[in-house]
Amino acid sequence: MPPSPEGPALSVAADYASVRLLADHLRDACSRAALDDGCAFELELAMVEAANNVVEHGYAGAAGGTMALAVAVEDNVIRAVLTDGGTPAPDGFFAKGTMPPPGATGGRGAGIIRGCVDEIHYETGASGNRLVLTKRCPHSAPVA
Amino acid sequence: MTNESIRTIPVAFDRLDAMAAPGFRETLTPLLEGQPEKVLLDLGKVEFIDSTGLGVMVSLLKLMGPGGKVAVVGAAPNVRRLFEMTRLDSLFTLCDGPDEARAALA
Repeated sequence: MPPSPEGPALSVAADYASVRLLADHLRDACSRAALDDGCAFELELAMVEAANNVVEHGYAGAAGGTMALAVAVEDNVIRAVLTDGGTPAPDGFFAKGTMPPPGATGGRGAGIIRGCVDEIHYETGASGNRLVLTKRCPHSAPVA
Repeated sequence: MTNESIRTIPVAFDRLDAMAAPGFRETLTPLLEGQPEKVLLDLGKVEFIDSTGLGVMVSLLKLMGPGGKVAVVGAAPNVRRLFEMTRLDSLFTLCDGPDEARAALA
């Protein structure tokens, strides 16, 4: 069965305050789908790391940048699709995703993304950058 | 607040993300004046941490110097999992409660 199309995208300014809006959007979708809390947390974390990266490196403080998040849920598979028009991530950024030594004060974003989702697809083109994070989540246990 | 030589720092943020990181850092820095060697960090109110929040916590350790020790209490399961994923559980001692944390810091 082909994956379902994403729902309406939430478009926001590319700043850290707006990353929280994207996180709310994703958390709401996971909650509506009654997905396991821990699994939903990991997808939210991966998306937040990716969006932080867009703010910090993609736009690097430039004003007027935007990013958007669309979410698709089909059964226990959830896809978060993050798009932006900033500078693309370096080649292999998401594929490498190594975790730095514990004493490092930064550089954990890509490693966290890789550790939190099942699949990562990243493409860039004339219309911008598109990151698809896919995670298979069990449904949360029903309340007795 | 202190107990013997242990400084307890309750974290009031529910999200330790890139938005909160500057405030978190500003909150912690004066509490570390005098460079306490042992800190009990209470994350009981924290529901979410990203790599930026973790980075501030590592900075806390560096501020304390090479003899600094930090025990973490109140970490929610999701937060604890992040410490493990990033191997920061090798820098911060994750404890189930204050008594265990004080014992770990003793």
